[in-house]
Amino acid sequence: MIRAEGVEATEFPELANQFNVRGVPQTVINAGMGTVVGAVPEKNLLAEIKRAVN
Amino acid sequence: MEKLLNEQVVSQIRKTFEQMKEPVHLLFFGSQDNCEYCADTRQLLEEIAAVDEKVSLSIYNLQDNADMAARFNVDKTPAIVIAAKDGEQVIDFGIQYSGIPAGHEFGTLINDIILVSGRDSGLSEEVREFLKNLEKPLYLQVFVTPT
Repeated sequence: MIRAEGVEATEFPELANQFNVRGVPQTVINAGMGTVVGAVPEKNLLAEIKRAVN
Repeated sequence: MEKLLNEQVVSQIRKTFEQMKEPVHLLFFGSQDNCEYCADTRQLLEEIAAVDEKVSLSIYNLQDNADMAARFNVDKTPAIVIAAKDGEQVIDFGIQYSGIPAGHEFGTLINDIILVSGRDSGLSEEVREFLKNLEKPLYLQVFVTPT
């Protein structure tokens, strides 16, 4: 149900470009339905996930 | 073949792995097609798995083992799946890493192994509750760089 993948951005540049990865870490939710730039607190990530899945 | 991890690093990993609780199984997926970092990633995992008997490793190929790749949702190489092991059974937690875990990301891999070994996400009650009630799959991709 939940898949969490670390992606080495320099090895997969097309993917990083596709999702407009500007800095790291950057978390892309459900292939672009949401995105979080930087290492954010758990509740901020949860808020963005909620926004992306609804 | 020359080792990728020197003795000092191996002894640090051994010390870190003392925190491990349950066994962890690593799945490596390589590819026949141009995969610049596949050989190094595979060797790195072999050296990590040799440090502690709680860590086991199996080697797959995206083309020859398409069924395993599909089962573990692997679509690029090199890929590492950090799974739990219970007896002979491999349990997928959906935790994986695509690319070579070098630099900073080496530490991330070691921490992931410890985390999976503890069988506890460490997430807050609020997040657990939300995730438990998910109705659709959730796919998080965290883009990182080795530096």
